[in-house]
Amino acid sequence: MAGHHGLEFLPLPISVSAKGGIRYGQDGNRLHDAFVIGIGGGSASGKTHVARQIVKSLGSIPTVLILSQANYSFDSFYKYHTPEEIKLAFESKFDFDHPQAIDMPMFAACLGDLKACRQANIPVYSFAEHQRLDESKYAYGATVIIGIFEIILTRPKAEGIMALHDPALRDLYDLKVFVQCDSDLMLARRIARDVNERGRSVDGILEQYLRYVKPSYDNFVRPTAVFADIIVPGQNNAVAIDLISTHTRRKLQERSNSFRPKMAASALNPPTVLGVPLENDPNLMILPSTPQLKGIFTILRSKDTSSQDFIFFTDRLSTLLVEHAQQFLPYSAQSVITPVDAESHGKKLDVERLCGVSIQRSGSTLERGFRRVINNVPVGTLLIQSNSMDGEPLLLHVKLPVFLRRRSSAENTWVFLLDAQIGTGAAAFMSLRILLDHGVKQDHIIFVTFLIARTGGITTLRRAFPHVKIVCGTVDKEMREGNEHGSGRKIWAMEPGIGQIGDRYYL
Amino acid sequence: MIPNAPSHNHTHANSSANNRTLPPSVFTLPPTAQLEALYTIIRNKDTSRGDLLFYSDRIIRLLVEEGLNHLPVIKKSVVTPTGATYDGVGFEGKICGVSILRAGEAMEAGLREVCRSMRISKILIKGALKHLVYMGRRINSWDGFQDEETAQPKLFYSKFPQDIAKRYVLLLDPMLATGGSAMKAVDVLMEHGVGEERIIFINLISSPEGLKTFCAKFPRLKVITGWIDQGLNEKAYIIPGLGDFGERSGSVEQEWGWEEMVFDGSTGRIAWLARHSIFVHDATLDDASVPLFL
Repeated sequence: MAGHHGLEFLPLPISVSAKGGIRYGQDGNRLHDAFVIGIGGGSASGKTHVARQIVKSLGSIPTVLILSQANYSFDSFYKYHTPEEIKLAFESKFDFDHPQAIDMPMFAACLGDLKACRQANIPVYSFAEHQRLDESKYAYGATVIIGIFEIILTRPKAEGIMALHDPALRDLYDLKVFVQCDSDLMLARRIARDVNERGRSVDGILEQYLRYVKPSYDNFVRPTAVFADIIVPGQNNAVAIDLISTHTRRKLQERSNSFRPKMAASALNPPTVLGVPLENDPNLMILPSTPQLKGIFTILRSKDTSSQDFIFFTDRLSTLLVEHAQQFLPYSAQSVITPVDAESHGKKLDVERLCGVSIQRSGSTLERGFRRVINNVPVGTLLIQSNSMDGEPLLLHVKLPVFLRRRSSAENTWVFLLDAQIGTGAAAFMSLRILLDHGVKQDHIIFVTFLIARTGGITTLRRAFPHVKIVCGTVDKEMREGNEHGSGRKIWAMEPGIGQIGDRYYL
Repeated sequence: MIPNAPSHNHTHANSSANNRTLPPSVFTLPPTAQLEALYTIIRNKDTSRGDLLFYSDRIIRLLVEEGLNHLPVIKKSVVTPTGATYDGVGFEGKICGVSILRAGEAMEAGLREVCRSMRISKILIKGALKHLVYMGRRINSWDGFQDEETAQPKLFYSKFPQDIAKRYVLLLDPMLATGGSAMKAVDVLMEHGVGEERIIFINLISSPEGLKTFCAKFPRLKVITGWIDQGLNEKAYIIPGLGDFGERSGSVEQEWGWEEMVFDGSTGRIAWLARHSIFVHDATLDDASVPLFL
């Protein structure tokens, strides 16, 4: 089977609030986890096939991710081997089917992170080198996770292996599936696969099968079937797969229905009638209204402003905003010697890591200003668009700097989140959630924006994420429902507003 | 006309010395930690040229933004793309940037990022250059090039738009040490009809002594300075300062390229203004050819 990967994505991500997606309450907390299906069964029993059929059948669900514990052509979770083990592996004398070969804690950690909607970095194993590689695969945002495991449903007695009787671990699975297949069929598939794909001799395959694979199956794998919710035949299993996907879809729908009234930051939420006194919020900074700032906004707001002028004054304003945003960063004392050999006691920026993340497309109108103030740091992007059906935000693409992908470094990173305006707050809400899910601290996020609507989603946003810093150019009074130019679709527009900043900057 | 509402004034004075004696026409940036961090970078003698330019540009943009806030605006209403009316303000009057060569040139990039397609003139004053190249030789003495009677800084070159008298002028020089060059530049501008109150002098760093002298001479001229340092040393360098900004930010001396040709009518000399030096020729020019060079 070509392109047989331990980790699979459907075209990518997610909707955090659309149908079947992960939902968050008004307090900013997740209302439920991703749905996790665990699939167990013997080697070559057809687990991957079952997983793929489920994915196919769940076609309407935004993202399904397959996480494979151990898989012959692209195994993910084999442990980091010692030189001796590598030697054995090259001589086909290493028991890959023993539970000890697999990095169970890592598998459980990745699954747990994904279930809780955090990012995971999936290890990559090279069969050519018989070793875990230094690289890893970044995964984030799955709504449904299918974990294919060889032995995680193992007996408690097997030493060093996390067992199903551990409630914390058992809770990871919303649905446990065991793929039941006759031994002779599994052997036949194994021979066909290993001869074709790995060029191995039948004798070698049989020897390995009898020495390792069969005992392992009998001792560790088959007994786990008792823990399964559903047992699926290894062939002719279309009906069983349909049952699983129907069940999954229904579970997702139930969550979706029960949480709808509590949903936060929807574009369909009417704006709050009274604005909040944003001026008293210590974490929200509005630029001082100087004559120049008023002049800049007058040019940006005017519908008759030329595209050239619009770009120039947008860049000027974003530069000012990012400059002002610097006050939220920490500084420490530093002394330097000046070229005239005098000592000067000053300060230096005291952060470990810094990056920008712009919410596409209109957030990138702040990027030039950002670059004028902060150079040599990466800027990631989040592509969020409103669902044309219900106006809810849909995350289409995540491209984050490397140090946000890793939880350990994300925790020490300061992030400038850039978006042109906060109206309904839906995109801002989702972006903040994504950063927090990655481990970024709330008080390490500085949201930089041109314009905020006082009666828009800012109220919910401040309540949900009070420690996030916000820097804005000015605050508009209200939001008004109108029809989008062209499509005629209902949208909330800010008044007096600047219009579609992204369109005016780029078109 | 809406009265000017500068965002901050001299009460923000951020120097360690002479806070209380600061003239009322002096405005500084708010002395925030991030501003101090920027100055620490550009003060450091080990800072690379690239970083010096990047971080000084950041300060210069803030200074220009502050300077522009001292210009008048007029009420203006516009219609937004959503059809709403916004009562805002429009910028009033033409502006001209004037940089005092050669260090002032380093401030032009920052100025252009704030002021769209701004006209920038240059002014060259003796004392702003370290040395001359005369007949192919480098000369370290200014003999013959200074005003013999007063021994004061002497204008070498200036080129302004014809309507300079009607414009507001942002005068750029990164360092205000003794104030000699800046005062000469203001004199020249006023000779061209620019009113004192229409000039805003923008500098990165200044000495209390220089500010005092300058503001005493031009009390109605607003000075926007990013930082006021301790004082001057015996060589008239600002302490702790940031060294010779023009030299640190400019290209290396070997990169001479002729940029302008200057004719000093009083002495009959032509000077080629290069990046760092003036090339001077004694020449007898007939009247007809003079305008060609100017």
